[in-house]
Amino acid sequence: MFHYIIKRLLYSILILWGVVSLVFFLFTVLPGDPARMMLGQRADEKSIEVIRKDLGLDKSISMQYIKYLNDLSPVSVHVTNDPSDYFFIDSIRYSTYLKIVNISDKRILVFKRPYLRRSYQSKKNVSAIISETLPNTFILALVSIVFATILGLSLGILAAIKKDKLIDRVLIFLSATGMSVPSFFAAIIIGWLFAFVLGDFTGLNLTGNLYEIDDFGEGRYLELKNLILPAFTLGIRPLAIVTQLTRNSMLEVLSQDYIRTAKAKGLSFSRIIFKHALQNSLNPVITAVSGWFASLMAGVVFVEYIFGWKGLGYVIVDALNKYDMPVVLGCILTISLIFIVVNILVDIIYTLLDPRVRLT
Amino acid sequence: MNETTIIEVKELSISFPNGEEENHVLKNISFSISKGKCTGILGESGSGKTMTALAIMNLLPPGANITSGEILFYPSGKEALDLLRTSYRSLMPIRGNRISIIFQEPMSSLNPVHSCGRQVDEILCRHLSISSKKAKKRTLDLFREVHLQDPERTYSSYPYQLSGGQQQRVMIAMAVACKPDLLIADEPTTALDVTVQKNIISLLNDLRAKYHISLLFISHDIGVLNEVADDIIVMYQGEIVETGPISRVLTSPEHLYTKGLSACRPGLSTRLYRLPSVSGFSSITHSEINQKAVPENSCKSDQTRKQRHIAIYSAEPLLRVRDLKVDFPVSRNFFGKVVKQFTAVNNISFDLFRGETLGVVGESGCGKTTLGRSILNLIESSQGTIEYNGKQISSTGKKMWNELRKKIQIIFQDPYSSLNPRLTVGKTILEPMRVHGILSTEKERKSRMIELLNKVNLDPLYANRFPHELSGGQRQRISIARAIALEPEFIICDEAVSSLDVSIQAQVLNLLNDLKEDFGLTYIFISHDLAVVKYMSDRIMVMKDGALVEIGESDKIYQSPSDEYTKKLIESIPGS
Repeated sequence: MFHYIIKRLLYSILILWGVVSLVFFLFTVLPGDPARMMLGQRADEKSIEVIRKDLGLDKSISMQYIKYLNDLSPVSVHVTNDPSDYFFIDSIRYSTYLKIVNISDKRILVFKRPYLRRSYQSKKNVSAIISETLPNTFILALVSIVFATILGLSLGILAAIKKDKLIDRVLIFLSATGMSVPSFFAAIIIGWLFAFVLGDFTGLNLTGNLYEIDDFGEGRYLELKNLILPAFTLGIRPLAIVTQLTRNSMLEVLSQDYIRTAKAKGLSFSRIIFKHALQNSLNPVITAVSGWFASLMAGVVFVEYIFGWKGLGYVIVDALNKYDMPVVLGCILTISLIFIVVNILVDIIYTLLDPRVRLT
Repeated sequence: MNETTIIEVKELSISFPNGEEENHVLKNISFSISKGKCTGILGESGSGKTMTALAIMNLLPPGANITSGEILFYPSGKEALDLLRTSYRSLMPIRGNRISIIFQEPMSSLNPVHSCGRQVDEILCRHLSISSKKAKKRTLDLFREVHLQDPERTYSSYPYQLSGGQQQRVMIAMAVACKPDLLIADEPTTALDVTVQKNIISLLNDLRAKYHISLLFISHDIGVLNEVADDIIVMYQGEIVETGPISRVLTSPEHLYTKGLSACRPGLSTRLYRLPSVSGFSSITHSEINQKAVPENSCKSDQTRKQRHIAIYSAEPLLRVRDLKVDFPVSRNFFGKVVKQFTAVNNISFDLFRGETLGVVGESGCGKTTLGRSILNLIESSQGTIEYNGKQISSTGKKMWNELRKKIQIIFQDPYSSLNPRLTVGKTILEPMRVHGILSTEKERKSRMIELLNKVNLDPLYANRFPHELSGGQRQRISIARAIALEPEFIICDEAVSSLDVSIQAQVLNLLNDLKEDFGLTYIFISHDLAVVKYMSDRIMVMKDGALVEIGESDKIYQSPSDEYTKKLIESIPGS
């Protein structure tokens, strides 16, 4: 188990490196110039040159790549004596760092927090942008997945118990519908219906964030009701899938010999369902739920746009439109990290649910 | 009803809808189980014996249609109860408490994600309303009572961590936990090794005497029933064909089916030329059995057998295995290096002579299957040499093996999973011929395929059918046809008849012997069934924990085994 986690973490460094490299080189082949994006179409060549030099865009691509990795890595090499050097250690960037060793009289090895650089556009630190938006995305994803899991499990169990009865048929129909409705379409319909048509009745806003600034521009306050519509919209598909998976896997487990044994022991029906069948049928459900959770964390652009929710997806699309490479790279790294962590957690959950699962 | 009956089954009929038709699995059966006695039900697969057991528990699979009859349960000092017409809620205090059941497959009958102790605790808490602390104490007592070593450890173990025998002991502990009036044992030892089977049977006998439990013991093996049952019910195709005290049924069976059933088993004392087979019990009607007499048999004389052996063993060996060792990795360290390994086959050396049948026996996990597969290079061996016809084959390349595959074939245990479900019978047999370029045209191959089907007693019309449309015995015959299609010299039969009913088993064994004579084949016959191995083999090799215990002429080994382990194995054969 311990070996396994160490191994997975080592692999994940490789994965992150692969992701950074891929996105970095994709950016270099994109047509367009970030410097021109920043200054506008009518900017003069000279100021563009200055900006390009400032961003390091005048260096060769391989140089830029190595520099980015150097900034990103917690252990990095820097030059101390020449401020004009591309690798000069900039104490403004790294608010804190720890010198490990002097490599030569002008180079040092440094231990620091990974530096994600600053946005080309807003000049804000990318890590600050991410830590502002990530909680929004996290809460939205968490609420919708918890809603989908709890309701989906209950409906799936219900459908399995009432197999081939009317309620089972209705649930199968509804989940098939839920699976096939595109989220942007569902978002528009739900937003229009509950916030616009029934807005007075439900009291929900069409757009809004987790924290709202009050009308006088003073103080942020938590507005949980803004979460309801986007979370519900996002939960529809996972809900449909969890319902289907729970139903099918419950039906398979219920036909197993050990369920017959449980009945032969004289146990009550509910005990058989919840103590004997459920735990055995959770594996496919967990696989699906974790996958969905991770992809919801990656941001759900349409839904965020429609409900005006400032999440990670929103930020990425915005940054892509503006060639804001540091923001895009930073966000994608964060998302990859989330996927990796979720996958490791899920593997651990498998071992807790089923003693036969061994992690090697 | 009198005081001595505990269960009375009256005119019970059960059917399953099968398309338009109804499949009648039980046809108007009536019998009763006496208090304190052991009633045995004998029958082959599909005879309805398990259905009867499940009907008593009211645990029939969904879709079962009870067309008539009732099952009356007479609890001591209470009103009789029709178990078929009792609600789930009212059955709860009876199931597991007054009537309990043990199933055939202990592995799949225990919940894989709950610890064994917890599963026994559960039944105690449910019926005796005791605290979980007391339940644990009682469970540990029960584990001791069913002779589970180290009850504390078993308590916290999960089913997959135990052996089949231990799992079945846990099931038994669970079944007797509430001292039931009736215990149903549905083939409780079929999935277990002979030595384990013997122990489980004596355990059931002890518990029955101790707690005055009535026992309903279901088995396909008349030898097993002989060791437990007082009375016996013989079932055939959903009907009861004979009932009576076991001693009477064994010595003078009235019904011809019962006669045939006991004759089909190869005996330990005599060796018949051909096993009597009431050909295809499943395909003929009830009345036909009555007409078909079990054929008169002549025994193979020791004299001819000896002469044949002299001829066989004077030649050069066909296969020479030296110091063969097969290891499987158990755990690996951080860098993927194997740190612990399990030795499935440990330094085995033997010779196999052309024309002989070498039986390999041993309990499950002794490495006999691994041995067979490593000879075929289906599993890589870690050490040792194998010579075939004087040529080294253990470390040769792929090209040479392509040639060798034609000469060495294997028949697997499970005819259900070893045939590709998407290939028709004909294509299954044609495929290896095509691969190895046997016969030049497709037309010739097809006629050869039909010849082969005839050879294994299958209608050539089956060529267009898919494996799932056929019965187990028919499928095993397809596996045999596929193996002999390449005209091999040497076939490994890996538990080839273990999953078949006795009557069908007899037919397949006869077929294997016929083919051996026709084609001059050499067999390695792997089986856990000692009676079958003795019948088939010239020499026998006994294996234990991957090592060779002894090897020798089969009659000699049975009459005077030199090793303690072999002795124990032979003594465990039921009915011996």
